Amino acid sequence: MTLRDSLRLTTTILVAAGLVWMAHLQANADEPKPKPENTISIQLGEPVPPQKFQHPPKFWIADVTDRSGNPQPMMVMKERGGVFLDKQPTVIVKEAIEQSLKAAGLLAPDSGSADLVLRVYLFHFGLAEGSGLDFFGKVEFSTMVKNTKTGESQEVKAVGTSIAKGAVRKKNMQKNVEEDIEEALRDAARNFLRGTELKEAVTALWKGTEAVPVEVPSATETPKPPSR
Amino acid sequence: MRILILMMVAGTFAMTTLANPKDETPQYKTAEAKHFTTAEGVELTPAFADYFYAELRSELTKSKLVNEVVGEGEVVDDADATKSLVINGTITEYKKGNVVTSALIGIGRQSLKMDADVVRRSDKQNLCVLHVLVKIDPRWNEKIMAKEAAHQMVKEMKKALAEGTKPS
Repeated sequence: MTLRDSLRLTTTILVAAGLVWMAHLQANADEPKPKPENTISIQLGEPVPPQKFQHPPKFWIADVTDRSGNPQPMMVMKERGGVFLDKQPTVIVKEAIEQSLKAAGLLAPDSGSADLVLRVYLFHFGLAEGSGLDFFGKVEFSTMVKNTKTGESQEVKAVGTSIAKGAVRKKNMQKNVEEDIEEALRDAARNFLRGTELKEAVTALWKGTEAVPVEVPSATETPKPPSR
Repeated sequence: MRILILMMVAGTFAMTTLANPKDETPQYKTAEAKHFTTAEGVELTPAFADYFYAELRSELTKSKLVNEVVGEGEVVDDADATKSLVINGTITEYKKGNVVTSALIGIGRQSLKMDADVVRRSDKQNLCVLHVLVKIDPRWNEKIMAKEAAHQMVKEMKKALAEGTKPS
């Protein structure tokens, strides 16, 4: 290899490295960052009235787990400088359900006094892929309703959707996205609290509670673990 | 003569306004749209059904045909059941279309066919059967087709319910 070839090769490598570095910098510059002007606050607003139960139980939300697989759950939109949430979606969903249960007098003061414990698994929160002409808000979660006395549990699914019109101006777009997600959250909370799945789960788990005193062994017998 | 024309115009306007009152009370209390199923051989993404469900609910709300659009599987008061609707449907056919033939000779658009039944919640009586066919440019997103299908579905439904169409 001559000196000229060596110089040419070195120059090529340097230019390529420079281009890669520039592209990296550009990519980092395009990554939107949360700022007060691009952050939205999602709230349920008026609590959702739950359905009437034959034997109203006391619920307690043990935890809400994010199962969406989204690495940036607080970023609801990447385009046009991004739109961010002010709180984690898990916190928003927990507050929404708690608020509605509390308003209806169905929220237990602590886990110990609850009849049914809820574990929520959040699968989707925010915008989903739509037609491009409007915003498609979607909130989807699954809840394990567990009877604290019998240990039995049942799954209840809920989904909320909303369609909001698109917008050209960033301010309007952000407002529409906020309203869209709030509506989807409200719809999902309603779907959960007024769903037949929850009614069936509560009825089935309540029957288990009523059956417990019959199955309770005498003080001399050793209690058996609940069958799974 | 001018006064006569003005009076005629005002009279026509008043009659039109009275014939179409804006605060029309919806005929039904609630409507529940279910996720549409897909027939065998229909190749659409799972997101399509979700988006169509959302669009259908949105269109139902806009149509003011019902007081309230409830989510899938939600309880409805027994008192409202007689005035409540449930919409079930199936996507029976989907053709992807052909971009080349569509651009050259105007045929080969992507098309979607769906059938739906509108039943009364209380006694499951079929109130109307709807058939919708949507054709759009093959280059367009399938979600646009969902939007158009939902719009047509609600339009057909409104028309059929107004006419009191019964299943054959």
